[in-house]
Amino acid sequence: MINVKDLVKIYEGQVTVHALKGVSFKIEQGEFVTIMGPSGSGKSTLLHQLALLDKPTSGQILLDDIDVSKLSEHEKTAYRLKNLGYVFQEYALIPELNAIENTYLPLMLLGARRKEYTRASTELLEKVGLGNRVHHLISQLSGGEQQRVAIARALVNKSKTLFADEPCANLDTENKGIVLRLLRQLCNELGQTILMVTHELEQREFSDRVIWLRDGIIEKEEIISKEVRDSALREEYQVI
Amino acid sequence: MRNDFQAAIFLVYKYITRGNKGTLILTIIVTTLAFVQINFISGVLSGAIELAHQQAKDNYVSNIVIQPGKDEDYIKQVPLLKNKITSMPGIISCTSRYTIGSNISYDPDKNGKDVKSISWPIKSINPKEEMRVTNIQNYMVAGKYLEESDRDQIMMGKEISGGFGASLEVQSLKGASVGDEVTVYYRNGVTRDYTIKGIYSVDFPLSDMAVFVTEKEMESVLGVHNRASEILVKTNQVHTEQYYIQALRENGLDKEDIRPWTDFFGLMAGLTQTFGIIKRIVFAIGLVVAGVTIFIVIYIATIGRRKQIGIMKAIGMKERIIIVSYIFLAFFYAILGISLGIVLLEVLIKPYFISHPLNMPVGKVSLMIIQGELIASIVCMFVVSIIAGFVPSWRVTKENIIKAIWG
Ligand SMILES: Nc1ncnc2c1ncn2[C@@H]1O[C@H](COP(=O)(O)OP(=O)(O)O)[C@@H](O)[C@H]1O
Ligand SMILES: [Mg+2]
Repeated sequence: MINVKDLVKIYEGQVTVHALKGVSFKIEQGEFVTIMGPSGSGKSTLLHQLALLDKPTSGQILLDDIDVSKLSEHEKTAYRLKNLGYVFQEYALIPELNAIENTYLPLMLLGARRKEYTRASTELLEKVGLGNRVHHLISQLSGGEQQRVAIARALVNKSKTLFADEPCANLDTENKGIVLRLLRQLCNELGQTILMVTHELEQREFSDRVIWLRDGIIEKEEIISKEVRDSALREEYQVI
Repeated sequence: MRNDFQAAIFLVYKYITRGNKGTLILTIIVTTLAFVQINFISGVLSGAIELAHQQAKDNYVSNIVIQPGKDEDYIKQVPLLKNKITSMPGIISCTSRYTIGSNISYDPDKNGKDVKSISWPIKSINPKEEMRVTNIQNYMVAGKYLEESDRDQIMMGKEISGGFGASLEVQSLKGASVGDEVTVYYRNGVTRDYTIKGIYSVDFPLSDMAVFVTEKEMESVLGVHNRASEILVKTNQVHTEQYYIQALRENGLDKEDIRPWTDFFGLMAGLTQTFGIIKRIVFAIGLVVAGVTIFIVIYIATIGRRKQIGIMKAIGMKERIIIVSYIFLAFFYAILGISLGIVLLEVLIKPYFISHPLNMPVGKVSLMIIQGELIASIVCMFVVSIIAGFVPSWRVTKENIIKAIWG
């Protein structure tokens, strides 16, 4: 569960940017929420604060009732490793590791046994449709495949919450469909909370709810009906 | 903790086996060359210093020199004394010499014009004994070594005769050769003519600036018997010179003036000292240059992975693991660079210099790697590589994740 209260983020610098100007919302466990808004509206900034990659200027973030501002840097690192998954816009994999090694890295860091993390990551790679790419190097994978490895990595620790910042931005239509359906499926099957940023309108149809941002404040919220979601999930639906 | 260590090892292994081979090879080459460079230059200087010392002991004054005590012109009862000395443990042999000032003149055209003349002490040797103490007999470049019965023969180093690539031509007889005649005006008034029997060159100026006649001849010039101006003592070098000097004193030589070879090193002592200082400076600079080079190479490689480090932090990798993995990587470069460097030095460079020594004013110098210095350079390389691995990765991990990934 994510509970955000009056979140403010100001970037100090040559020009001071008020990226978030007091944002509050709540997301329940197992919800798939899309954050939408024009470029520069603060979507990525919001996700960075929630995923503990950055420190807000003020306001409160509660992740499962833990006030994350009370955590030290080390505790935040440990929290990310254990409870969060993050999918970056540009695949963000480690080039010296192959698909399965990239995937199992978080589990390895958590101290899992070799057998355990190999099995878990093989299963996940199969789930994201890369069962036949397990030992491929990153450079041998297409953009869509790389993004799916990144998703597998974000899931391998059985994270409660998955953050994805424009995960489809660099993908072609076919791969966009694959990734979005995958996210929806994960939410349904594993009860994962998913927070996805996008600025492409159709992509929101895979989620339960949309938070619209504009100039660092919430403009509106939108509930996606089950009918829209189901039609988006149909095979022939083309994500442009 | 063990887990972190394993993760760091895992990462390093992958960086090395799957990372950019060009960077890997370049870094190792740089490390190797840096290491070789430090040890090479100081190896040449050590070789020169060591050779100078060796030359002094082998071809100049041996290990210990005994001279007459205060107010004495000569050491007396020399044969007895020599027997006593050689029977002492650790003493290999000894030889006695007379020394007297003289003026040597050489008239190449035998017409009184263009006479070359120098003031230089003449020493006497007992050839059989002398050969067991110094090695000059092995360095004859013209003619022959003196024999015990020679009376009108003289032997000199190339710096006195001139020629044979002598370096101090100004003071020499400027090209006197074997068979030529010289006239010696001894300080005590005696004048004798000699034929040059042999010229030697040990390539060590202190040794090559000497003139010898036989002991028999000298005793007739001086009108004395069984005496000596100096006794050179060759030890087995198991102990320091001071140890043997002490032993000699305890053995009854309490009035004589006994000194180690280093006291006769004169100008050379200053020179080798200067070499020693230069060596230390070059060594230090070499270490700094090698350190900076390795640091820069690793620094650039690490900064180039800023984004990757940001990503690793974002997925929850401890900073400690990241830093340790980069230190391990730098360590790996150091181990390979040092190993290759040692192989290069021992297998290629050292044998090359042994067969192609450098001609220096102290003789033919080859490379001498002093173990202590080698170890010091290895330790320094490791320390530097730890710093080079630590500083950039520490800096990047301290950075804001967002900045590391997108900044
Ligand atoms: N690190 C930063 N330093 C300064 N300004 C930033 C930084 N990151 C983002 N901004 C600014 O904050 C605003 C919101 O950015 P961002 O959250 O990336 O928007 P979005 O993801 O919605 O396109 C923009 O005006 C952007 O220029
Ligand atoms: Mg963005």
